[in-house]
Amino acid sequence: MMRQAARLLAKDIKLDLRSLENFLSMLFFAVVILLLFAFALPLDDESHELMAPGLFWVTFLLSGILNLNKLFQVEKENACMDALLLSPLSRGSIFLGKMAENMIFILAMQVLLIPLFSLFFFEALMSHFFPLLGLSFVVCLGFSSLGTLLGGLTTDVRFKEILLPLLLFPLLVPLLLAAVILLQSLISGAGLAAEADWLKLLVGFDLIYLVVSYLVFEFVMEL
Amino acid sequence: MLHRIFPLAVFVFLVADLLMIFVFSPAEVTQGYVQKIMYLHVPSVWLTFLAFFLCFLASIGYLWKREEKFDVLAQSAAEIGVLFCAIGLLTGSIWGKPTWNTYWTWDARLTTTLILLLVFIGYLLLRKFVDPGEQQARYAAVVGIIGFLDVPLIHQSVVWWRTLHQTSTMFSMKKERVVDPNIAIMLWISVAAFTLFFCWMLVKRVRLENARRAFLRKMANLESF
Repeated sequence: MMRQAARLLAKDIKLDLRSLENFLSMLFFAVVILLLFAFALPLDDESHELMAPGLFWVTFLLSGILNLNKLFQVEKENACMDALLLSPLSRGSIFLGKMAENMIFILAMQVLLIPLFSLFFFEALMSHFFPLLGLSFVVCLGFSSLGTLLGGLTTDVRFKEILLPLLLFPLLVPLLLAAVILLQSLISGAGLAAEADWLKLLVGFDLIYLVVSYLVFEFVMEL
Repeated sequence: MLHRIFPLAVFVFLVADLLMIFVFSPAEVTQGYVQKIMYLHVPSVWLTFLAFFLCFLASIGYLWKREEKFDVLAQSAAEIGVLFCAIGLLTGSIWGKPTWNTYWTWDARLTTTLILLLVFIGYLLLRKFVDPGEQQARYAAVVGIIGFLDVPLIHQSVVWWRTLHQTSTMFSMKKERVVDPNIAIMLWISVAAFTLFFCWMLVKRVRLENARRAFLRKMANLESF
């Protein structure tokens, strides 16, 4: 099963590398959001320190959802989706492959977004680069499990660009809260361990939705 | 016979409930008449959770058995749940203004209920955007399940968010308050009356939905001639 998922992942990565447009558009979208925040919010360091965690994760969510919209769109061309479903790949490995692709995409974006964010908003963030990347991984796991399920679900649906965030964002409230508070504690110097309860909630969210999404994904992908 | 007696019984029960609320039940000492909105507010919130829980169970039932009746039940329960959720939030706001001096506060329970409303509005919109049929039922069931599973997580996170980080505790929820036995009894009667009302609504809604789907099928058959 893992091998099947890896095969699918390799195919998607190859496609993405061939034309970087997906990744670049997501990255520049994130930059545009940062610009909007920079213009819309007061320009002093104190308020930036207060707002940095929230802004960072909102940027993450808004640009991350772009990739979720694209995730199954590539399979729509030339009826690749039908071919994929007819192939001996199990539904679970399709889910894992797509989810892994989404995570790699978003984490690659985070690697570039963190320096950009600290450049525009909050320089001290750069000193927490690696812990923040680790935190991003944990947040991304929950985001991608639920996102891949709902992304697959909304592929065929009318107005999916509206429906996906409408379904996804309310469900992600626990994730966002935990991510914001953990980043706050990271910035304040207390470290992630200071908010262990939130970390547990975050990991719990990841595990629940990883398992549930994996299990119900087969109902979303029926021929 | 039952389908004639049942709505009548619900009606009588509701009217009796209304009379008791305004005639027999004592006015609360500090809040006075304002408190009586509780007899609408609490049953609405209870029915919200009951309805969404039913929707959750019916969604599992649908994915398991693949019978259309589960889908109809899930849809009907979700619609009524959204209705009562909105009523619950609205009456809560009206009640909050005179007692907490604000229409809205980011209290844990309020926030959870609001998010729940958004999740299930999303659920109903999904049904709108997918053509009726087997696919719609499957998709809706998936969202019904993951949506309901999120409730404990949302609630836990919002409780921590508000209790650990709230600077002002002006508006403490009144759960520790000793409830007067008369008020408690009245509340139970209201909850019972509204639950019966809910059952009746659900039965009606399920029938309507069955009729609507039968009609759509018939039309589709006619068109295929």
